[in-house]
Amino acid sequence: MAIKSRRFEEARLEASSNLELFWWVFMRVSGVVLVFLLLGHMWMNAILTDLNTIDYDYVAKRLSQTTWKLYDWLILALGLLHGANGLRYVLDDWVRDPAKRFWTKVVAYGLIGFLFVYGSLSLFNHDFGVR
Amino acid sequence: MYRGREGQWAFYLHRISGLGILVFLILHILNIGSAMWGPEVSNRLMKFYHQPVFQLGLLLLVAGVIYHGLNGLRIILMDFTRFGVRYQRQLWYGVWGLFVLLYAPFVIKILGGILAH
Repeated sequence: MAIKSRRFEEARLEASSNLELFWWVFMRVSGVVLVFLLLGHMWMNAILTDLNTIDYDYVAKRLSQTTWKLYDWLILALGLLHGANGLRYVLDDWVRDPAKRFWTKVVAYGLIGFLFVYGSLSLFNHDFGVR
Repeated sequence: MYRGREGQWAFYLHRISGLGILVFLILHILNIGSAMWGPEVSNRLMKFYHQPVFQLGLLLLVAGVIYHGLNGLRIILMDFTRFGVRYQRQLWYGVWGLFVLLYAPFVIKILGGILAH
């Protein structure tokens, strides 16, 4: 069950398992990191660049550099995990029928897993051909 | 946990913006990942997303990310400080103050881009 507490000490008492407490802490830690990663990401691509000029060459040029690969991969991994766990909280609250909840989660986690593999492949296994 | 008013709104908006960001993230990964199929496929897809209606959606998304992020920091303050829960309402107005500050450049740039197109 998701933790509803508002203090770490209470959360530790309320956590039904160590895993549940881990996710509670993970949401806070990844959240702080993502705020800064995403502000930088949006500032670079929407303010410093004209959005309408973004095309394959722009993406290729950026992703030919290891630093940006890692930056984007961190957003990919943390964003998907943070989003998946947030979705789990929402499904636990809104889908009351156990069977329906189970299959919704199977589909959701499957999609998240696919996106992680797909995104990682395009970051690290695709040659953008820019030197 | 909350009884109506600001705290309840903060909670609903946090959920809605979170789900919205997740939906965008899915489209965004599929769009950028299409680079693996080469420049033609990738450019055609990106041109599709350069239509004004998606730019408006992007403006909404940026708002969602900034709110979700700042309200998330508010939640963390409530979790780990002594004053956080007591001042949760004031903190929420602080979130909106910072929101306006951070969102303004995006509105000017993106809305300007749509109008100039």
